Amino acid sequence: MRGFNVLLQKEFREAWRSWKFLWIPLVFALLGMSDPLTNYYMMDILNAVGNLPEGFEMLMPELMPVDLLQASIGQFQTIGLLVLMATFVGAISKERASGMATLLYVRPISFGAYFLSKFIVMSTVGFVSILAGFAASVYYTVVLYGTFEIGSLVASFFTYFSWLLFVLAVTLMMSATFKTIVATSCAFIVIFMGQMINAIVGTFWTVSPWKLPLYGVQLIRGTMEMSDFWWSLMMTIILTIVCISIGTFTMKKNASMTKI
Amino acid sequence: MTTLLQVTSLTKQFAGKVVVDGIDFTLAENTSTALIGPNGAGKTTTLSMLTGLLKPTSGIVKMLDGDLRSTIGFLPQFPQFHPWLSALEFTEMAAKLNGVPANKAKLEAQKTLEFVGLGNDINKKIATFSGGMKQRLGISQAIVHKPKLLLLDEPVSALDPVGRREVLDLLKDLQQETTILYSTHILNDAEEMTDQLLFLRDGKLVEQGTLHEVRERFDEPNYVVEFNTEEEADHFIQSEHIGKAKGRYVYIEIIDEKESMQELLHHLSNAPYKIRKVERQTASLEEIFMKVAKKI
Amino acid sequence: MMEELAKVPWAVIAPLIIVQFILMIVALVDLRKIHATNGPKILWVFIIIFVNLLGPIAYFIVGRKQT
Repeated sequence: MRGFNVLLQKEFREAWRSWKFLWIPLVFALLGMSDPLTNYYMMDILNAVGNLPEGFEMLMPELMPVDLLQASIGQFQTIGLLVLMATFVGAISKERASGMATLLYVRPISFGAYFLSKFIVMSTVGFVSILAGFAASVYYTVVLYGTFEIGSLVASFFTYFSWLLFVLAVTLMMSATFKTIVATSCAFIVIFMGQMINAIVGTFWTVSPWKLPLYGVQLIRGTMEMSDFWWSLMMTIILTIVCISIGTFTMKKNASMTKI
Repeated sequence: MTTLLQVTSLTKQFAGKVVVDGIDFTLAENTSTALIGPNGAGKTTTLSMLTGLLKPTSGIVKMLDGDLRSTIGFLPQFPQFHPWLSALEFTEMAAKLNGVPANKAKLEAQKTLEFVGLGNDINKKIATFSGGMKQRLGISQAIVHKPKLLLLDEPVSALDPVGRREVLDLLKDLQQETTILYSTHILNDAEEMTDQLLFLRDGKLVEQGTLHEVRERFDEPNYVVEFNTEEEADHFIQSEHIGKAKGRYVYIEIIDEKESMQELLHHLSNAPYKIRKVERQTASLEEIFMKVAKKI
Repeated sequence: MMEELAKVPWAVIAPLIIVQFILMIVALVDLRKIHATNGPKILWVFIIIFVNLLGPIAYFIVGRKQT
């Protein structure tokens, strides 16, 4: 793991100086706020906008706090992941294409160390981001709807974080393996097509990384079949490690693709 | 002299096209070698293979003193840096990645940046650097860990005359304790600091040796006699049956150093007019280059 | 309609607006400091200011130029 600390410092500097530790969490915070707020004020908004027929009554379903968290997670799953993946999918491929990688690759660094240092910084940004997102969502939900049980909320958060680690590992592996455009397409297909397939025919199986975000919510609802949960979590962790290994391998293999 | 790097039948093909074609050479310790050749001759590809960035199709690059990646410093033709780092941060990172102990790395980086003339800019972000400053930074990241072998791809071609002069002087300083291999298509640079020349053309090593050796091989030395007028020059050729006139100058090919000299002196003593100058002319590297480039 | 708007509890809405505002400011500060952008800088100024939320995000993802 030669050079790990040095590379980690470099990656942190980059993320910090390009404001990634600030703007991505802010985006997640906004995403987290939006559902509790819009749902609660739906009637006010509709009235304020006007043009409602006289005596209009909309039947609002009675929402539980966990429903709003689920809606917020739905936001993270689409816009949130899109932002994170778009930001990081060039982490390796763009460095190669621009030639910035050349001055690092000629040194006796370990590609495992370089890949991991990038993965750790991405994960940290991801962690802070979903922390901000969860905090914003939970704060408004608590103020406007009701409270959560703290233990299951934390469990739900870390379940979502495990899923996020998988997403980031897939993204970085694609970046190591392909050029940026191909990497973006592949990563998006795996993550978003996976979500779609899971939504359409996912009832046929119970163990998959794509199920983790929902399982996290079900932990709060108390309706989780725990063996499904553990198997999915284990599978996610294993697939994350597999992605990291493949990514390290292809990063090394593609080192000669760097512009000289 | 001890050999530092040994290259044996190094070959690179890209999609079936041979870019570097079985070249052999060695680099002796603390010597400078210029890799010259026209654009597209395979210079950059050769250097890339020596750095280990590019895998050769076949052939061997053997570093005789330690692991290759730990013992080289490399400056690409267009070095790209991480623009959000400062010059000091980048050079320090380079030093640490090459195994300079953490407590020394910063000091070494500072010294190196001063050496390359960036002493006043060490804390500036690289994003704000000009081309010349980037070239200096490129040299500093290549030498900060005191590599045994320094590989430079066109180190001065992109610089203006002043910058070129300064960087060449830097390299001459380094020459004392480092083995340098650099590519260039600017021959004056090669003429200035080189112990060995490697001529590359269409991926083949068409000529190699010391500057002296190559010159011997390709030189067609002449005596040049300068007269006052064209008529005198013409008259000299007609009466003495020697040489070729070109304006006021007469060129006499040297076939054998001693005989030619005696013959020339003999003819000159016969000449009834003032002779302005007699000179022995050797080919410049430029001329040799043209000859090698055309050699079949 | 004004009365209806006045009923909106701004104390709850305020954090939302503040977060958006910070995001916009951060994007503008970065835009000011950055060397080069993809596309003209002035265009990004308008996008960041006038396209709520998406403007700053778009700037950070595709507007910044790193080389």
